[in-house]
Amino acid sequence: MLKTKLAASAAIISLFFGTSVLAESDKDIDILRAEIQNMKQVYEKRIADMEAKLVRVEKKRDQVSVSTGKKVPIRSSRRILSNSYNPSVGLILNGKYSNFSSGSSEIPGFGIGEEGERGKEGPAIGESEMNFSASVDDKFYGSLTSAIVREGGSDKIELEEAYLQSLPGLGLPSGLSLKAGRSLWTLGYLNEHHAHTDDFADRPLPYRAYLNKSFNDDGLATSYVLPTNFYSEIGGGIFRADDFPFGTGDGENTAWSAFARIGGDIGNNQNWRLGGYLLSGESKGSGRKSNEDAVIFKGESDLYVTDLRYVWAPTGNARNKEVIFQTEYFWRSEDGTYQDTENSTGIINFDDSSSGLYIQGVYKFFPRWRVGVRYSRLFSPNVPAGLVGSNLDSANFDPRAYATMIDWTNSEFSRVRLQYNHEKLKDGQTDKQFMMQYVISIGAHGAHKY
Amino acid sequence: MRLFKLILIGLFCTTSNVTHAMVNIFACEPEWGALAKEIGGSKVKIFSATHAKQDPHYIRARPSLIAKARKANIIFCSGAGLEVGWLPLLLQKAESSVQPGMEGHLIASKFVKVLEKPIVVDRTMGDIHPEGNPHVHLNPHNISLIAKELTKRLELIDATNASFYRNRFNSFALRWKEAIVRWEKNASDLKGMQVVVHHRTFSYLIDWLGLIEVASLELKPGIPATASHLEGLLQQFKTKPPDVIVRTPYEPGNASIWLSEKINSPAIVLPYTINGDVSSVDLFALFENSINLLKGALND
Repeated sequence: MLKTKLAASAAIISLFFGTSVLAESDKDIDILRAEIQNMKQVYEKRIADMEAKLVRVEKKRDQVSVSTGKKVPIRSSRRILSNSYNPSVGLILNGKYSNFSSGSSEIPGFGIGEEGERGKEGPAIGESEMNFSASVDDKFYGSLTSAIVREGGSDKIELEEAYLQSLPGLGLPSGLSLKAGRSLWTLGYLNEHHAHTDDFADRPLPYRAYLNKSFNDDGLATSYVLPTNFYSEIGGGIFRADDFPFGTGDGENTAWSAFARIGGDIGNNQNWRLGGYLLSGESKGSGRKSNEDAVIFKGESDLYVTDLRYVWAPTGNARNKEVIFQTEYFWRSEDGTYQDTENSTGIINFDDSSSGLYIQGVYKFFPRWRVGVRYSRLFSPNVPAGLVGSNLDSANFDPRAYATMIDWTNSEFSRVRLQYNHEKLKDGQTDKQFMMQYVISIGAHGAHKY
Repeated sequence: MRLFKLILIGLFCTTSNVTHAMVNIFACEPEWGALAKEIGGSKVKIFSATHAKQDPHYIRARPSLIAKARKANIIFCSGAGLEVGWLPLLLQKAESSVQPGMEGHLIASKFVKVLEKPIVVDRTMGDIHPEGNPHVHLNPHNISLIAKELTKRLELIDATNASFYRNRFNSFALRWKEAIVRWEKNASDLKGMQVVVHHRTFSYLIDWLGLIEVASLELKPGIPATASHLEGLLQQFKTKPPDVIVRTPYEPGNASIWLSEKINSPAIVLPYTINGDVSSVDLFALFENSINLLKGALND
């Protein structure tokens, strides 16, 4: 059936076309070919002409890049492939495996917030961060960083940063900038940096005790880079004072900060920066809660910080070899009351100061390998009679910790680290900690802060 | 407090007066500093953010750079992603007239034909620049185009000295044109020379002189040479070694030297930028020396 149909259709087709094709002589085919060839040439020439014209037009457009008159935006013909309109998106994934020799890790004498405690034992992911940022227009820059953290058995979203920053196009005096919202504010060296960029897997003792890892309150801050030949910058801010070390105050609290920094180069391959900072405020309302809400501080606290960072690239090329020395010193004076509900101390007057510091050195000995050591220490305040035996009783012991690490950085986007900590946070308690950490960054290629 | 205010005002006045007298040029790389010197002469003050021993990809926004960028009237950089890790931070604290799109923001790669623009970009390919290869200064024809643009910008920013810049540009352009003719003649026998590079920093020089890049020691850009990749190159070049292995002054020499000894091809350091070697003190010497070094290696 099929065969006959095929044969029939073949016959019909040949009736209509086959005969005519057969009728054409070879000469006709040659003429046809020549005609097609001719047409092809004409069109090719036209296309070539058009392409040449396009090139000329493009060239002309390139050349008229600068017109007369000042402040004229200059455009280039080149298309930029970056996200001109969309925000840059970055993801940070980090995880740790930790092993601790001691069952507990309190820091008596200091009210320690939740983030200031040592990390989780066993495998655990750290903050997984998501960042969106972009220049809003010529006048503002916006950035949002949220972290997904596991707290109390469930995953929660924490807003780490959400701020708007002025750009030079706003027309403020040169060197002056404003920032509003929630941000890792300028205070010491580490506070401005996200923890995943740290040189160690955990923050040093003063950051754990005084800032609950970092200060990222809601507020408004300004800074001014002075027009000096060396680097000098001053600034300050006002804050809602809801974040540690001030605590929930339902808008009643007040806090402010001020800072001054200078820095420069020594020769071609060394540079440094030195800063002084003050964060001052009052905790009212329900006060600053620490030690799982058992310890409550109400009153004024002033935190003074000074930091120094020195970087040396022995061969000039920091990518191959680099030495980084960094230290920060914290001094806090508190005037108010402490209460330890766990030990039923009642409300006890407290007017004293304490301090803490860390010193660290990191050495990059191969392009991808670095080793580092860190010493951190807290100097406990005196213990008022009413707080003896409570979480705030340091028994005149100064907590100290030693850390050493080695890390391997495959590219700018991935890093693996091994760290060993030897912590003596309480008299007679030694905690040997072993940590393995990975930090992965996906997406936007952020700039490197100093 | 009053005294402090007075000091501040005083500081502001003195420095702003000084900056008006001269055009402050912040060059991201030394080659742009050298070009600015050719055109700007005594009317400009140049600061180069990096030197020949530094890899411009990996610079921190260190304090001195913030201070210099803040006072700059022109920020002059390669672009194409080369300074993406540090320039944005400096721009945040710089004048509005040096922001992208303004006359004080001069990005060299925007005024030349950029090579090696990838069609697909994926981080598995290493730290690749989606905008193409940023090391545009190693083709002297590009220098001509960029010099022209720089002159236009200087004329705009410092109109009172416009003729000064124009004259200097004309003189430079003439000498440069002559030099290009001389170099192209002198380097004609380099055509087809087979070159192994460390990172793709010499693509524009290779393209200009008609050399052939046969391999790169970095398997992927930004990721240091691995032993297995070097072993692979050793096998590849055992029978037919390349004419030369080149690297910049800032790239580590161990991989080049190792391969050079195994396959018996010379490994050389090309100056790459100003002061990349003792005699490459300006742009003319930079190209002169690069060609002579390549010729030396070919005749080796």
